[in-house]
Amino acid sequence: MHLIAPLLRRPAAAAVLSLFGILIFYVVFGGVNLGTLAGAASWLNFAANLGIVAIPVGLLMISGEIDISIGAMIPAGSMTTAIISGYYELPIFFGMLGAIGVGVIVGTINGLLAIRTTVPSLIITLGTLVAMQGIILSASKLLTGEASVAITAPDWSKFIFGQLIGGSHQVIIVWWVAIAAIFWFVAHQSRYGNWIFAMGGDRESARNAGIPVDRMTIILFILTATSASFVGMCQAILFNSAQVSGGMNIIFNVIVSVVVGGVILTGGFGSVIGIVIGTLTFAIVSQGIYFTQIDRNWSNLIIGAMLLIAVLMNDTFRKLATIGSLSKK
Amino acid sequence: MAPKSPNSRARASKLGALARRPEAGTFLGMLVVYVFFATLGGAVFLGAPGWSSFLNMAAEVGIIALPVGLLMIAGELDISVGAVLPASSLTVAIISGHYDLPTHYGIFGGLFVGLLVGFVNGFLVTRTTIPSLIITIGTMFGVMGLTLGLTVLIAGSTGVFMTPDPMARTLLGQFIGGMFQVTIFWWAGFIAVVYYVLHISPWGNWIFALGGDRESARNAGIPTQRVTVALYMSSGFAAAFVGVAQVLTFQSAQVAAGQAFIFNSIMCAVIGGVLLTGGAGSVIGIVLGTLTFAIVNQGIFFSGLDPNYGSVIIGALLLAAVLSNDGFRTLAMRYAAKKT
Repeated sequence: MHLIAPLLRRPAAAAVLSLFGILIFYVVFGGVNLGTLAGAASWLNFAANLGIVAIPVGLLMISGEIDISIGAMIPAGSMTTAIISGYYELPIFFGMLGAIGVGVIVGTINGLLAIRTTVPSLIITLGTLVAMQGIILSASKLLTGEASVAITAPDWSKFIFGQLIGGSHQVIIVWWVAIAAIFWFVAHQSRYGNWIFAMGGDRESARNAGIPVDRMTIILFILTATSASFVGMCQAILFNSAQVSGGMNIIFNVIVSVVVGGVILTGGFGSVIGIVIGTLTFAIVSQGIYFTQIDRNWSNLIIGAMLLIAVLMNDTFRKLATIGSLSKK
Repeated sequence: MAPKSPNSRARASKLGALARRPEAGTFLGMLVVYVFFATLGGAVFLGAPGWSSFLNMAAEVGIIALPVGLLMIAGELDISVGAVLPASSLTVAIISGHYDLPTHYGIFGGLFVGLLVGFVNGFLVTRTTIPSLIITIGTMFGVMGLTLGLTVLIAGSTGVFMTPDPMARTLLGQFIGGMFQVTIFWWAGFIAVVYYVLHISPWGNWIFALGGDRESARNAGIPTQRVTVALYMSSGFAAAFVGVAQVLTFQSAQVAAGQAFIFNSIMCAVIGGVLLTGGAGSVIGIVLGTLTFAIVNQGIFFSGLDPNYGSVIIGALLLAAVLSNDGFRTLAMRYAAKKT
């Protein structure tokens, strides 16, 4: 018990248990071959696209805010890249700059509204979500006359952002690993990480302790919006086209991944490793189901049940952790 | 300068109080939006086609936005309405279409699904410390999966047809004058009931108290758990009701329907001055917010503008509403503080 208890108290505990639970479930009831699943690219590609957005959103949630405008930022990033470098045939460099720029602008707007008003960030980003969806669609119609734009990216950019390694694994997986490593360092090894946790724990006390709360909030909102537009940019370069498709699902997928990963919506608790494992778990549930004998129509039911079970486990473990730390005193 | 007579001063303060009400801003916004689209849309938008198109939409969103607004006043959210709506219409279609049972069996089945999901939501929200956003996302995924899986299992496809009884169709799925859906009148009924609950009955005070401070509300003897469960059951019921009305109107049910209602219902409540943090809001505000939302959404098709500008306008309206409410509330708080 002395060995297990500290492990269970870690934020990632429920995510690890969910991951094993899902794998066991798929092996026992779905007859899945773990070797085939591990070698398959579909769920890993899915996880990487989701995971790059989930990490900054998770940190934002640890700081006590939420960002749902990411649902519009992925198509925004890919459309910006495609319009600048595909339709206007400017060098791809400008397209990338444009995509990142759009992310920075929307993130700044979200952040400024979040710190200047008392309006919850869910509502603020709901507003920017709807507005951005309209802006992308009308801009695309206005500038190009169509809702989907083709783009031919040069080889070097394809190599870095849109390569298929071994013909199946998107290079964005490497980006995900790198981004996870950087964010792990920032969140758990640098003082900025402490600031983020402090903000989520108690914003007022954090400000009184001299933490630049407002600046950190804006930076976090910029990071979430930019990471989403970055994913959009990579998709445009990989698929040679950008569509204004709805991104409503990605909002819930990201939130579920982050929450299964042990982040608490009210802030102050969570870890980057947990978010990564949560994303992997979500990807295996939704994409791995194709490797089982279970009808894929049930995948949403499994996701819903898993979310509730994981959150309940987190709840229990966190209580354990608080009791543990209290009794130590 | 002669001093103002007390009468005119009283009138001025009454006007001031009216302008300070959060609904005033929503009403102004609605007028601006209506005049704007009336100028662009002309006689067609001003006449029956325009009114019917935005009233039809307002009725469907509005029936769901009312209880969702009440939940938000009580400080909670309900995302699962987006999954309950197709679940209930498929329940109706499977019972009365696929199995050919009388239509009212189907209707009861559909409404029961809504009440059941609402009860599960309320139970989980009151028994755990998990935020309601997460719980209702979980039940949304769960209900979506169950709907899809069971429909394919029972009916073999993702869409089910049905032919409703003439009686049920007249009550729930009729087009009055060929244009106006009968749900508009149901919406009016829902408005009256919810108005009574929130602004006249003691339940309303309880709901406001819940959103203001849950702990104090409980200490004051308010049955907080019962109120929360009842609110979730009413939002589930409302979503199921719209699902039933849709299947009776269009005589078919699709698995992929209703996702749009999640954020639309929240937006209507917010444009109408409901705070997500709880404790403030009114039924009139929610209704005005719903009308504003529907006018923009449908008016854009009459205006000759690109329909995509519609969501830009709605996004801007939402932010404007939220920011002005924020301003109003600060003003009201300052005013209240000055009085004491």
